Amino acid sequence: MNIIKIKFVVPLLVFFLVVGFLWHGLKVNPNHIPSPLINQPAPAFTLPQLFSPNEITSRDDFIGHVTLLNVWATWCNTCLEEHDFLLKLSNIESLRIVGLNYKDDTSLAKQWLQENGDPYHIVAVDSSGNTGIDWGVYGTPETFIIDKKGMIRYKHIGPINATIWKKTLHPIIIQLRNETL
Amino acid sequence: MLPELGNFAIILALSFAMLQSFSPLFKQNIRFVQIGTTSAVAQLIFLSLAMFILICNFINNDFTVLYVREHSHHLLPFFYKIGAAWGGHEGSLLLWCLILSAWTIAFVFFSRKNLPRNIYSTMIAVLGALSTGFIAFLFLTSNPFKQDFPDSPMVGNDLTPLLQDPGLIFHPPALYMGYIGFVIPFAFAIAALLDGKLDNQWARACKPWVILPWAYLSCGIVLGSWWAYRELGWGGWWFWDPVENASLLPWLSATALLHSLIVSEKRNVFKGWTILLAIITFGLSLMGTFLVRSGILISVHTFANDPARGIFLLSFLAFIIGGAFFLYAVKIKDFYQASQFNLVSRETALLINSVILLTAMASIALGTLYPIILDSLNLEKISVGEPYFNIIITPIILILLLIMGVAPHIHWKQQSILLLWKKLRISLLLSIVLGVTLPWALGFKIHLLTCVGLAFGLWVIISTLQYCFTSKSSNHIPMITAHLGIAVLVLGITINKSYSEERQVKLFLNEKTSLAGYDFTFKKLDETIKSNYQSQIATFLIHKNEKKAGTLKAEQRIYLSHDQLFSKPGIHYNVFRDLYLTLGAQHSDGSWSIRVYYKPFVRWIWFGGFMLLLGGFFTFIPIRKRELL
Repeated sequence: MNIIKIKFVVPLLVFFLVVGFLWHGLKVNPNHIPSPLINQPAPAFTLPQLFSPNEITSRDDFIGHVTLLNVWATWCNTCLEEHDFLLKLSNIESLRIVGLNYKDDTSLAKQWLQENGDPYHIVAVDSSGNTGIDWGVYGTPETFIIDKKGMIRYKHIGPINATIWKKTLHPIIIQLRNETL
Repeated sequence: MLPELGNFAIILALSFAMLQSFSPLFKQNIRFVQIGTTSAVAQLIFLSLAMFILICNFINNDFTVLYVREHSHHLLPFFYKIGAAWGGHEGSLLLWCLILSAWTIAFVFFSRKNLPRNIYSTMIAVLGALSTGFIAFLFLTSNPFKQDFPDSPMVGNDLTPLLQDPGLIFHPPALYMGYIGFVIPFAFAIAALLDGKLDNQWARACKPWVILPWAYLSCGIVLGSWWAYRELGWGGWWFWDPVENASLLPWLSATALLHSLIVSEKRNVFKGWTILLAIITFGLSLMGTFLVRSGILISVHTFANDPARGIFLLSFLAFIIGGAFFLYAVKIKDFYQASQFNLVSRETALLINSVILLTAMASIALGTLYPIILDSLNLEKISVGEPYFNIIITPIILILLLIMGVAPHIHWKQQSILLLWKKLRISLLLSIVLGVTLPWALGFKIHLLTCVGLAFGLWVIISTLQYCFTSKSSNHIPMITAHLGIAVLVLGITINKSYSEERQVKLFLNEKTSLAGYDFTFKKLDETIKSNYQSQIATFLIHKNEKKAGTLKAEQRIYLSHDQLFSKPGIHYNVFRDLYLTLGAQHSDGSWSIRVYYKPFVRWIWFGGFMLLLGGFFTFIPIRKRELL
C-alpha cells in the first residue's frame, strides 16, 4: 500500500538540505565569526596603490602604526553606507586607515573615491581578489585592526558605525596604541 | 504596572493559543470545535491588549521597559512613538502574532459556514499550533515588556533616523499582513492532505485567502521600495538586499499559487501542485522571518540578534514545514487524477506560468543563500550582488511577459494555434513597432535591450486590452488590472534603468548645475530646529529651457540623540520623471557636495505595484459573478 513515489519526497529532501545549510549558517554567524587569523601576523601581500600604480604597498607598511584595514568595493552598497563614518574617522590623527579595494574596476574605484571623499591613507588594489582570500575576506565591507607589529588583532564583518566604533573598535585601538613596539 | 499587565496578556494569549491548537482535534464533538473558535477570539483580544499596552508605554515614555528605552526618546514625535512600537524586533514580532490572530478571526468569520466541519476544525487547530509557536517565541526569546530599574537616570536611545518616516507606520503592517496571510492557504493545504480530498469547493473557499495576502504583500513590497527611495538617498528603488529578496520569494510563489489555484477551481486539476505551492509559499514566509531575525545575513534590515532566536525559529520552521512536506510525500498520491487537456490550452499556459515563477523564485533564493551555502561547503567566499540578479531575472521575466499576453486568449482544454495566431498577430506587430518607436518619440536614445523591454511590456498591455474589449464579461477585471499593473511596472523599470542620469557636483550658494536639460540653482540655505533634530534645508530652483519648473528642498538633519548626520533627499516629481537631489557634506571653502539624479518613469514602478493591490481588491467586489462551468 504505502508506496511513496520518489518525486513526492523531493520537496522534503530539498527542504532539509536548505535547513541544513541554514543550520550551519547559524553557527558561523557572520557577525561573530572568529577569524583564524586573529593574533597572527598579517598575511604577506604586495599590491599596487590605487592612485599611484607604480608604487607598491605591502604588510611592512603596517609596522609602527595602529592600522584600520578596510575592505571595500564600488559594487557594494553597504560600503557606501559606512563611508561617511569612515570619513569622520579619517579626521582622527594618529589613526591610519588603509583601504583594500576588493575585486573591483580600478577606474571606477578612483571615481568613487573622488565623488564620495577619500578616507584612506593608502588604497591597495586587489583586482583578482587573491589577497582578499589570504586574508579570509568573507564579503565587503570588512574591517581589520592591525597592531604596531603588523599582527591582526580584530576583524569586523559588515559596515562599521558609531555604535560599533564606540563599543568595540575604539577601546581595542586605544589598548593597541599603548602597546610598545 | 502596565508592563506587567502586558506580560500577563501575552501569557493568556499563549494559553488560549494552546487550547485552540488541540481542542478542535476532537472534531466529533461540536463543543470542542467551538472551544477552539472561542479561544481564537480570546487570543485576538489579549494580543490586541498587549499591543495597546506597548503603545501606551511608548507614549508615556516608560523607559523602565528595555524595548521602549532602545527604540524611543522623550523628544520623538507622537506618531513615530506609535510606529516605534513595531520598529524593533520584539515589537514587530508582537505585531506579527497579532496579525496572525487577526487573520484567523477573519477566516473564522467568513469561511466557517462554507467549509465542512472536518476541514474547518483541522484548520483551526493548525492555526492554533502556529500561533502557539510564535507567541512562545515572543514570550521566551523576545519579550517586549522586559524591564529593569537602573539607578542612573534613564534616557531613551531613540528610533533610528532612517525609521523616522511615515513609511514606518504603513510598510511593516502591510508587509506582515501579506507574509502571515499565507498561513490560511497553508492550513487549507494541511487540512486537504489530512482529509484526503480536494475539490472545487475547497479551491473556491481557499482562493480569497490567497488573493488578499498576495495583494497586501504586493503593497508592502512597493511601500518598502518607495520608502527606500525616499530615505536612503541614492535614488535606487530596489537593492536586491537579502531582506527585500526574502519578501519577493513568497510573492513569486504566491503568484504561482494564485494561478494554479484558478486551474484547480475551474478544471479540478493540478491539485498536488496547488498544495505544494501553498506549503512552499508559507514556508518561504517563515524562512524570510528566519533570515531577517536570526542575523544570518547582513542587511540594512537586520534586527539585533541573539543566537537563541535563530535556533528557535529554524527548529520551528523545520518542524512545521518539514512536517507539511512529509505529509505531502505520504498523502499526495490520493490526489492524482487523470486530467484531459491538450498541449495548447489555458491549463498548459498557467502551468508554464507557475513553473517559470517558481524558477524565478528558486534563482533568487539561490542568489540570496549562496554565500551561506558556499561557506558551509568551505568553498570560495563571495557575495552575490545586483549583476547576478539582473542577468538571471531579466530573461525569466521576458518569457513570463510573453505568456502573460497570450494566456488569457487561450481556451480551456484545447486551442487551435492558427486561430490564436490570427487573433493576436496584429497586437504582436503593434507592440514591436511601438516598442522600437517609443524611445524615439519620447526623445530618448535607442538601445536594443530597452526596445525589447518596452515591446514586451506593451505586448502585455495591448493584448490584455484586446482581451478586455473582446470578452464581454466583467469577471476578469481583477486579472486585467493586475496584468496591466505588471506591464506598467515593467515599462517603468525599463525606462528608468535605461535613461536615468546622475551627477555629483560641488556648488556654492547661487551657483547652478544642469542635468538632463534641467538647471538647478542653489537658491538659499535655511536652518531649522525641530523637536528631535536640527536641519539645514537647501532650496533649489529648477528651470527647464529658461522656464521655471519648480523648487526642490533637500535637507540634512542632525538628530540630537544620535549625533548622526542624515541626509533627506529633495524630490520634484511628475508623471514622467523625478528630479532627486541629495545634499552631501559641506566643504571647508563653504561649498556643498551635491548629487542630482534624473529618474524617468520611476513613479510608474510603484503605480504598477499599486495596481496589483487594486486588482486583488477588485476580486472582492460582489457584482462579479462566478463564471459558470
